[in-house]
Amino acid sequence: MTTIRRFCCDDLLRFSSVNLDHLTETFNMSFYMTYMARWPDYFHAAVSPGDRVMGYIMGKVEGQGESWHGHVTAVSVASEFRRQKLAKKLMNLLEEISDKMDKAYFVDLFVRASNMPAIRMYEKLGYVVYRRVLRYYSGEEDGLDMRKALSQDVEKKSIIPLKRPITPDELEYD
Amino acid sequence: MASKFGLAGGIPERRVRPIWDAVDSRQYKAALKLCTALLAKHPTSPYVLALKGLILERMGKPDEALSVCLNAKELLYSDNIFHFDDLTLSTLQIVFQRLERLDLATSCYEYACTKYPNNLELMMGLFNCYVREYSYVKQQQTAIKMYKTVGEERFLLWAVCSIQLQVHFSSGGEKLLPLAEALLKKHISSHSLHEPEALALYISILEQQSKYDAALEVLSGDLGSLMGRVEDKLRLQGRLLAQACNYAAASEIYQKILESCPDDWESFLHYLGCLLEHDVNVPKSRTSEHTLLSVDSALALKTSLSEELVESRLSSALSFVQKLQGNDTSECVRGPHLANIEIERQRRLSANPTDRKFIEALVNYFHRFGHLSCAASDVEIYLHMLSSDEITELLDTISRSFDASSFSVKGLGLAITIFKVQELLGIFFSKSTTELQRIAKVMVETFYKNLPLSRDLDPQESMHGEELLCMASSILVQLFWRTRNLGYLTEAILVLEFGLTVRKYVWQYKVILVHLYSYLGALPLAYRWYVTLEVKNILLESASHHILPQMLNSPLLQQTADLVKDYLKFMDDHLKESADLTCLAYRHRTYSKVIEFVQFKERLQHSMQYLSVRSDSIILSLKQKAESLEEVESILENVNHGARLVELSNEDNMKHFTFNEDLQARPWWTPTTSVNFLSEPFHEGSQPACFRAKVCEHKSTEKDDPKIKDSERKSLLPRLVYLSMHGCAFSLREAEPNGSGLGTDAAEMKPLLEKYSRSIGYSIDDALSVILGMSSGKKSVKDFAPDIVSWMSFAVFINAWNLWSNELVIPRADQSSPSSWQIVDNLVKICIEEQLIDANQILTSPGNNIPVLVQMITEPMSWHLVVIQSCVRSMAPQGKKKKKGGPSERPNIPRLQAIQRSVQCMIDTLRSVQSWLSDQMRPEEQALDILLSYLHGASEDGPGQISCILEENSARHNPELGERIAQSLETWSSAGVVRRIVGAEQELLVELKKICDSKLKLLGSESASLSSALH
Repeated sequence: MTTIRRFCCDDLLRFSSVNLDHLTETFNMSFYMTYMARWPDYFHAAVSPGDRVMGYIMGKVEGQGESWHGHVTAVSVASEFRRQKLAKKLMNLLEEISDKMDKAYFVDLFVRASNMPAIRMYEKLGYVVYRRVLRYYSGEEDGLDMRKALSQDVEKKSIIPLKRPITPDELEYD
Repeated sequence: MASKFGLAGGIPERRVRPIWDAVDSRQYKAALKLCTALLAKHPTSPYVLALKGLILERMGKPDEALSVCLNAKELLYSDNIFHFDDLTLSTLQIVFQRLERLDLATSCYEYACTKYPNNLELMMGLFNCYVREYSYVKQQQTAIKMYKTVGEERFLLWAVCSIQLQVHFSSGGEKLLPLAEALLKKHISSHSLHEPEALALYISILEQQSKYDAALEVLSGDLGSLMGRVEDKLRLQGRLLAQACNYAAASEIYQKILESCPDDWESFLHYLGCLLEHDVNVPKSRTSEHTLLSVDSALALKTSLSEELVESRLSSALSFVQKLQGNDTSECVRGPHLANIEIERQRRLSANPTDRKFIEALVNYFHRFGHLSCAASDVEIYLHMLSSDEITELLDTISRSFDASSFSVKGLGLAITIFKVQELLGIFFSKSTTELQRIAKVMVETFYKNLPLSRDLDPQESMHGEELLCMASSILVQLFWRTRNLGYLTEAILVLEFGLTVRKYVWQYKVILVHLYSYLGALPLAYRWYVTLEVKNILLESASHHILPQMLNSPLLQQTADLVKDYLKFMDDHLKESADLTCLAYRHRTYSKVIEFVQFKERLQHSMQYLSVRSDSIILSLKQKAESLEEVESILENVNHGARLVELSNEDNMKHFTFNEDLQARPWWTPTTSVNFLSEPFHEGSQPACFRAKVCEHKSTEKDDPKIKDSERKSLLPRLVYLSMHGCAFSLREAEPNGSGLGTDAAEMKPLLEKYSRSIGYSIDDALSVILGMSSGKKSVKDFAPDIVSWMSFAVFINAWNLWSNELVIPRADQSSPSSWQIVDNLVKICIEEQLIDANQILTSPGNNIPVLVQMITEPMSWHLVVIQSCVRSMAPQGKKKKKGGPSERPNIPRLQAIQRSVQCMIDTLRSVQSWLSDQMRPEEQALDILLSYLHGASEDGPGQISCILEENSARHNPELGERIAQSLETWSSAGVVRRIVGAEQELLVELKKICDSKLKLLGSESASLSSALH
């Protein structure tokens, strides 16, 4: 039982149990607040009955024409609340908003090529590796660009994998 | 910005672009060169001047930047200016903002808007200026003007938002709500609304005026379709209906929400509330700063319905919830099952307190979800309502439901939940020490036995059963509390270090270790673990509390200064940029976030921690540099001599303090920064419930007096230090009555000292008699122990004041009464001696008094040293400062003698600290043996068993563990951990010794100067 609602500033002061996890990055304030200000529908918190922040998802919608898409910037769940498909629920919400409200063609995300648990989870949720981005993370580790097609993309063109890896400067968006 | 270059104050783009490129790539010198060249051609171009100002500011030349920009501003104001564009203004704005002169930017835009009244771009610039200055009324006026000029929806909503901000932040602002409503209505009737956020704002304007029916009507009309998600619309409808007391309709709406989102717990509580017609007071506290489960608040809601009606409504709720349970095929939706418990709780409340169904619902919940990590905390508030018989029954039933000897993730999860339930209920407090040892052992063994379950997990993933080690460690701490046997505390550490050897990422272990090492006096280790947590950005506000208070009272001055610097940089930077983000929210028409961002800024600005750390930061620099009067002076000069801090601690500010620390992860024995149960005696037979109540009480009184008083006192310190040294400079010259400005300084000192003594809880007169009493041995220092450092500082300041005040500060009965110097001397001597006598061997006495000793030496003693240095300097020849023909300067011999005695007393006291410290330092091997001996006690009952298990397990080669885990275990060594503890404790002593050394050196040279002056 989880109340999923828009992420708000006060949550920033209560999400330490999610963010102290070594895989979860704590961004600077303008990063979070820019997401809240620009894409409030893409930033959600899951809250427990005791009103603790269980996890959250932040993302955005961007692109043009057929590359108009939702993007998952971060999704994270506190260890106490793992193994109950909460990340899936949050991902589904973002997909639904991208699909129904914003009529996007696909949702994409970046993941460290070494982060197998996460990659497996995204695969289970229907994401495929669209392309590899060389040395995407701090110029060292490769990133995988994973995608899932939405209903607008009837022929699922957006997820046909690229044959060749790309470099970060070839990326269309930040 | 490239597109704007063509308009840049008439300057061709190709000339300007290279300058911007240079700025963007931080080639400021090159940029300045280009800019100067351009300026030669266009000497009166405000735009080029603004650019130059921008470059100078980036180069770190704020004064020059300001003067260039002021020049540009003047040119803008002159009549013959030809080009007047937003690019010039916005460039100036950037520089003025960085120079913290928002007012100048605003006045530029104000002027421009008067000159070109209908220029939308300029008006938007002006609006943003007002947003940055938090001038809500002017924001509103400007937005209305824009709305009238172009009639766009967004500008109207900017105005309405500005009204909302007035409602929230100025008294009487709510009178404007009808105006906002009227404006919106009029606009809607001709243009409708087109943004979901606009609709939400409109509804909230109605809601704030309690016009719920009107709001509902809007929502169900055409505008309602603006809401993107059906659930969001329904939630809003439900809330409005409930507020309008239309409970029947509201509960139907909530039912609909639950049908599509059965896990939405908040909606369920609303649903039930509406059925019972007591609505929306959900047992939770989103707005409060510390989340705190309060059983009372959950129980307080009573319905006014008859018993029969309640029963029938609850029955219908139950059958609805059961239907939801049936619909779920994923086995993951906990909501409807928790709902079942809540319904039974309501039943129990209304009619049947002994009804079995409540406990049955709990048992069912555990059967279904007991293996989940959050199962116990999910139902925590319900567990506290059980009688002790029921608790036993519950635990028995769950225990019987699975086979503890079999290995499965689910079985392990359940076993953990059973432990957690006991932990939450405080049951461990009523167990015997033998029993507790056994339980801790079982926990550690269970962890090890189940390690094979995690063999194939990625090293990044949390492993099964990690919580067991936290719980085992927590029990060992309790054993230490009860027996004071150091071995238990050592084992509590070992267990967690073992866990981190298995997997190095478990932050929960690290946090507890930070606290354990701090308590043990091995602060350097605490700091090292803390650093690995990578606390940064907003976590600095919510999680610094784990280490900062301990560091502030430690001799690790440099590391502490780093922590403080990082924290302040984050807070200062954010508060500066926060309004820009509000501008961004306006621009993107996210009105709800406009209000939220401003509220959040207020919250951070009033952070209690922020005010405290600002004082700490100055105090810390003073501590670091106390041996150099010049450096002390320059530190104080940079913070306008402490005056600003004194202003900040005024009562009006203190009323609005916020507490933003996330205390959730703190260990049970130190629920807040100011409490440590381990420093208090353990009361045998204390009931679990009592203990819990105690923890809750501490958390809820976190905001109370002591902390605020402490912070207030700290904010006075820098100013008091400044005034003390300033006054002393004149005090030694007899023939200078009311020397330059002295009278006013003396007058300022008194109210500050009054405030200072009040913050310790005494009037100034009473405080004086306390220090007199303590220094003469008539009053016991122990009676004033908690604030002893503040008392010592108070005495130091009183002495300083006494030196140059015209008032008789200390009533002296006769010549033999002690002078104010003697009072300080005696007090310092007595207090420090007391610490040294009381101090046990540091190695074997956790919670030792090193922090107090450090504070005494680095605070009051430092302040006193500053006073002494000031006095000594003022008696030296004045050199250039000497006024020609001024009064002759004869040294005040009795006073010099008093100072010399004081110097000698400080020297003696510090030497006794030095020799005590030397006694504490012992060869590493010897120290190691002493600590390890606690783990190898003879008795079968004592500590040592768990460290044995850890050793055995790591030594045994267990192929089931998989290569990765087995390899990490090979590196485990208890002795290695204990050796690090010994090393860290020594490190701390060495640092303290260094501080004493440098003070002694200074005192030596002061003593020499005094001798030569006297002879």
